[in-house]
Amino acid sequence: MPESAATPGLEEVPLEQLAACPECDLLMLKPTLNLGEVAECPRCGCELFRLRHRIVGPGLALVLAALLLYFPANFLPIMQLNLLGRVTQDTVWSGVLSLYNSGMQGIAVVVFLCSMAVPLLKLLCQLAVLLCIAVDRAKPLGVALYRTYHHLREWGMLEVYLLGILVSIIKLRDMAELSLGIGLACFAGLLVVQVWLELVMSPHQVWEALSERRDARR
Amino acid sequence: MRAADAGLMVCHECHQLNRADAGQRHQRCTRCGARVHMRRPNSIVRTWALLITAALLYLPANLLPIMTVRMLGSGTPDTIMSGVVTLAKHGMFPIAAVVFIASILVPTFKLVGIAMLLFSVQRHHPMSPRQRILVFRFIEWIGRWSMLDIFVIAILVAIVNFGSLASVEAGFGAIAFASVVILTMLAAITFDPRLIWDNTESGNKHD
Repeated sequence: MPESAATPGLEEVPLEQLAACPECDLLMLKPTLNLGEVAECPRCGCELFRLRHRIVGPGLALVLAALLLYFPANFLPIMQLNLLGRVTQDTVWSGVLSLYNSGMQGIAVVVFLCSMAVPLLKLLCQLAVLLCIAVDRAKPLGVALYRTYHHLREWGMLEVYLLGILVSIIKLRDMAELSLGIGLACFAGLLVVQVWLELVMSPHQVWEALSERRDARR
Repeated sequence: MRAADAGLMVCHECHQLNRADAGQRHQRCTRCGARVHMRRPNSIVRTWALLITAALLYLPANLLPIMTVRMLGSGTPDTIMSGVVTLAKHGMFPIAAVVFIASILVPTFKLVGIAMLLFSVQRHHPMSPRQRILVFRFIEWIGRWSMLDIFVIAILVAIVNFGSLASVEAGFGAIAFASVVILTMLAAITFDPRLIWDNTESGNKHD
């Protein structure tokens, strides 16, 4: 790879056969990959391409599983706390509500966005993108939604929230009697499915799938 | 050879190559329609602006109480650091370490790290591009984990809700702290990592 990158006259190669690293701007010949292979930038090591067997089938299955888990994960109790006979419970949603009602609206909005709204929007975008590819319709909408997904990606923080739950469990354990709820299992499940989905939906394959047919038809 | 030297621009969003068209001021990606640039416009200035704002909020974030635990009406406000100390005093060392890393080390490292990246791009710092890209990737990856304390507060406020017996209230430090996390995440997004490599081969200067 470094050799081809150093070859003079890379300007004359047709655009379709070239690729550039988005992190360091190195220009190179686009590698041809076999299934399951990964291409990394020879200069900075950034992952450029990854070729997966199928993205639509497994992707749709995972998105639907995640959406099924989403509501129990956010609205069923994560844990119950029993202090001298009085029991309180916590869900992701009740955390947002309690903050809001205690006068911390700003923080409530941040928690709501990072732990509930963005993860849901991400899943809906991924569902729509996969459907656009599967039925081969409305590709421009798919492109717009996939761009939205990429802007949202960083702001969904389910894994951080899960760590927050663990820290809270340890903090509360000594204070009162604590029992874990079904919401926690759903939340952990949602996180696993979501991470898996992100691995399955290899971005460059999704972009190609969203663009290729549309161009061929014109 | 850089794509920029061949007159090519990589789309920030879909990574498609676009040929630069000198006649067009606001060029869009042929594949996804996002605006394409040789380099993110004003990347350094914008990153500095976000970083300085974050640094200013870093003080109230660490000095103001982030939450108050009340037991039977009496409670002492906890700052981030005093929360860690309390955990350690109760012998919960692993969790104290996790909170210390996520809430104190990481935000500090992010502020210093991004400032260092900006300095090195502007002043041709001796740090090698490889080291710099590792710092950048680490900052990009670790940024979100600082939200940990905010989520813990949300959970505690909801569950420790026994009226006068025991309750948890969020403090204003939490707002400043969340702002620091968000601003430094934005700073990492605004910073164009390609600048790290630009001044290593050719003598191109950026400011």
